[in-house]
Amino acid sequence: MQPNWVLKEDEAIELLALLITSARIQMDEPAHYGPLRLLTATERLSSLIEARSSQKSRGFLQDNIERIPEMHMLMSDVEAYTEGLDALCRAVAECLLRHSALENES
Amino acid sequence: MSEALRNIKTRRVVREMSGEAVEREQIEAILEAARWAPSGGNLRPNRYIVIEDEETRRLLRLVAPGMFQRAPVLILICTNWQVVAQHHLPAQDRALLIDIGTAAQTMMLAAHALGLASGPVTSYSKEAVRVILNLPAHYSPEMFICIGHKAETARPGMRAWQPITWRDLTHWERFAT
Ligand SMILES: Cc1cc2nc3c(=O)[nH]c(=O)nc-3n(C[C@H](O)[C@H](O)[C@H](O)COP(=O)(O)O)c2cc1C
Repeated sequence: MQPNWVLKEDEAIELLALLITSARIQMDEPAHYGPLRLLTATERLSSLIEARSSQKSRGFLQDNIERIPEMHMLMSDVEAYTEGLDALCRAVAECLLRHSALENES
Repeated sequence: MSEALRNIKTRRVVREMSGEAVEREQIEAILEAARWAPSGGNLRPNRYIVIEDEETRRLLRLVAPGMFQRAPVLILICTNWQVVAQHHLPAQDRALLIDIGTAAQTMMLAAHALGLASGPVTSYSKEAVRVILNLPAHYSPEMFICIGHKAETARPGMRAWQPITWRDLTHWERFAT
């Protein structure tokens, strides 16, 4: 069976650039910018792979692309921001289950 | 209210821009405005690098996690350390940072007055920017000003940490003993 490639080499390097430069700038920036950078990477990766992804992931990826830019602007509302992060955690867990054998067993 | 005051109050950082181009004369008007920004000791250590080339802008965005805009024009404010050395200014002199601030705000207000959108960005890797732009060793990349047109679909900017008025930021006269 063909592997399900969703990321091209150029795109993977772009993501690496974001991760590496985020690590560096975090040394000079407030701690609460950490989640912002990880979410930016999440949104970027979701955008890169969405078109080539399967039905199991597509909705989750589309949601990330729409939701994350809005979440950035909520950073100063710690409660709402944390709730947004929890919602993403639930969504990624559901997506994991769709990709797992567990889901098919039940 | 005067037009200048209205301009100051209505400028907001724009993080979503349309693909519409910015005219060369508009870019020059913004750079000329920066020339009239106040500068400590009138030393003018700032240098401005204008980046319009699409591929260069794409690469810069990739090493700038804080650059959410896809702006058609980037103006990079640099400090020219040769000027600093010539005038024997200590490297940590705060005037250098303040000069970047006066130039940045002046350019953003000029852009707004021209009907353009703008946003400052300091969240990027200086070393990566140095490599991509092949910057001379005596230039340090201090702040990008993204210039473009606001996207119709642009979301509102970052929410305030708390409601704030000028009164909250101001103290009159001596502090009580
Ligand atoms: C020194 C400085 C650095 C900034 N860096 C960034 C940045 O890297 N990315 C960004 O999106 N906004 C950046 N901003 C914009 C601020 O977040 C913005 O000015 C603030 O949220 C208030 O919004 P307003 O200017 O629209 O009132 C910066 C502003 C300043 C003054």
